Amino acid sequence: MAEIHKIIASVKDALGAGARRNSRAAAASAAVPVAQSAHRAALASTFARELEEVGGKFLGILTPAEVTGRIVTLAGEIGATTVAFGQGVVSDMDAIGEALERADFRIVRTIPVADTERAAMRERVANADLGIAEADFAIASTGTLAVVSTEDRPSSLTLLPPASLAIVQIDRVMANLAEVLAEMGPGGVAANRLTLITGPSRTADIEKRIVLGVHGPKSIHVIVVWPRDD
Amino acid sequence: MAEFPKARDFFESSRAAVADHELRRKLESASARHLDHFAQVKAEFPAYDDERDAAYRIKTDAIAHLDELLIELTSKLEARGCKVFFAEDAAAARDYIVELAKARGAKNVVKGKSMTTEEIELNGALERAGIDAVETDLGEYIVQLRGERPSHIITPAIHLSKEDIGQLFTDKFGIEYTAEPEKLTAEARSRLRAIFLNADFGITGVNFAIAETGTLVIVENEGNGRLSSTMPETFVAVMGIEKVIPRLEDLSHFLEILARTATGQKLTTYTSFITGPRREGELDGPGEMHVVILDNGRSAMIADPVLREALNCIRCGACLNVCPIYRRIGGHAYRSVYPGPIGSIVSPSLFGGAAGYLPFASTLCGACKDICPVKIDIPRILLHLRWKQSSGERPLGWPRAIERARRGARRFAKMARHPRTVRALGELAAMVLKPFAHNGYLRRMPGPFANWTKYRDFPRPRPHKRPAPGPERPPG
Repeated sequence: MAEIHKIIASVKDALGAGARRNSRAAAASAAVPVAQSAHRAALASTFARELEEVGGKFLGILTPAEVTGRIVTLAGEIGATTVAFGQGVVSDMDAIGEALERADFRIVRTIPVADTERAAMRERVANADLGIAEADFAIASTGTLAVVSTEDRPSSLTLLPPASLAIVQIDRVMANLAEVLAEMGPGGVAANRLTLITGPSRTADIEKRIVLGVHGPKSIHVIVVWPRDD
Repeated sequence: MAEFPKARDFFESSRAAVADHELRRKLESASARHLDHFAQVKAEFPAYDDERDAAYRIKTDAIAHLDELLIELTSKLEARGCKVFFAEDAAAARDYIVELAKARGAKNVVKGKSMTTEEIELNGALERAGIDAVETDLGEYIVQLRGERPSHIITPAIHLSKEDIGQLFTDKFGIEYTAEPEKLTAEARSRLRAIFLNADFGITGVNFAIAETGTLVIVENEGNGRLSSTMPETFVAVMGIEKVIPRLEDLSHFLEILARTATGQKLTTYTSFITGPRREGELDGPGEMHVVILDNGRSAMIADPVLREALNCIRCGACLNVCPIYRRIGGHAYRSVYPGPIGSIVSPSLFGGAAGYLPFASTLCGACKDICPVKIDIPRILLHLRWKQSSGERPLGWPRAIERARRGARRFAKMARHPRTVRALGELAAMVLKPFAHNGYLRRMPGPFANWTKYRDFPRPRPHKRPAPGPERPPG
């Protein structure tokens, strides 16, 4: 650890040599004015527009009962044979899994794994045609999904299969990134890996032409869940 | 560290680059496309200037408290189970990573896009240790296959056409030639996916490190950063000391502007927040995580109050795209990992005096300052570095032509003390040169003066007594 002291000392010296430091508290990030839009449906429709803008597909605002049917239909539409999914945030993923099995799709359910099972589980997720994950939040202004990985909802679900489906509760659609980070707070962000996903994996490395699906999913579908029956 | 070329090499490589019309076409089309996208997203985002102000303020303040923030970050990272290594220079960082890879018996090393690992020339060091590291960002993968360095911070293969890349894939993989970006990308995907699933050692850069939580934030579009940081058992993140920001709430200000200026997106496709290795029972994430925090000349930059501002840089690459010099010579001519306007500031500071010619490779037009999302006054810093050079702190070896020009200027200064002689010579020149002038300008001059007329016309000297109403004409 000698290096750390050396480098920090050299930073400290350097700072002393420079201009007077302004107060850290005074220069704290000032609030940037943010439009307060409380209306959920309006936020969801902004989200839908932005998602489509970045190449995602919006499947609609559906009730929990409709969600299951729509997922089965989607799996058929994209020609999937195997579907991978994990634990939901609030949604009941068991019902979705059963419906998929009834419709003759093979399912891969991610569960907590021991070190020895890791490679095999990963292989199964990677070979699935569709990965389903419930997002913790959505960001309207950018069409973004915020997904926290847990032991039964791994990051691989939104990364390895060529098609990705996310569901998100309507009261978890936020206006912008700052709101989501504020909602999660430092503790929430630090507890697990958090991934913000804005559209399908893409590259513009060949003559600045946009190509989708370079390492992650080529297509991303989103359903907003509105429990209207409550 | 690699030896830095002399100024003469820079002049030669930039002359060659300027003559390469195909390169020029590629650079112009890529830069123009980038600027169009940027103008569009900026127009749709009225808060852009406020976010930019906030980002500038936070970064400036973070650098002013860097010592405290680094201590806070280190303790948080360690509390989350990361091993932290402070590297004073490139060699220390390289050695640490190479030794670690050897100790873990790494066989399949994957790298996410990282300018910092380019800066420390990690790939070469791994190779010398018998370890192949595969670059997994598509652009980096392409330049690595060609045995080149990236020519742009954001778009490493900007200097290549799709035909160049098609040919490369045919030569390297023996596949049927295609120049379709979709097919080339699909080929790279399947090759790299197989590598990822067997990777045991991953290395990426870091865009932001949040001191408050010990979280590393990695921004990317392809997903290779996610794969490199989740698939391998051992994961190493490499960052410069200036990447740290104080709090989580500071982050959104940077993320709202970074993608907009870098690629014309509102947000990049993936933003990963990594806080420590994987938890018990988790499928993804490394079992072991190391964070290498690199100084390599940065603390010396802090000591210079003018230069310090350059550490605000979030590596968006926008200043390259607007720079009239970069757009003509491209990234390779700079002969540095960090090309373009910000590179001309950073390279001399990180790589020492031999890159000292770079601050002179600027017209000081200020386009870089206008576009910079963290408001770095690049022209001012370039002038400051020029001043430092000429005030003799780090004298430069100039090419002979410039040395001769300086001698000439000194001779002229001596002569100018005798106004009558100057006037007489002027009259003589006016008389002799008159028949050679076109529209008041000389297109060609003999002997040493040819160096001037090679690039621009020279106004015809006129007899002293009749001040000329000569036609206006822009030199060129």
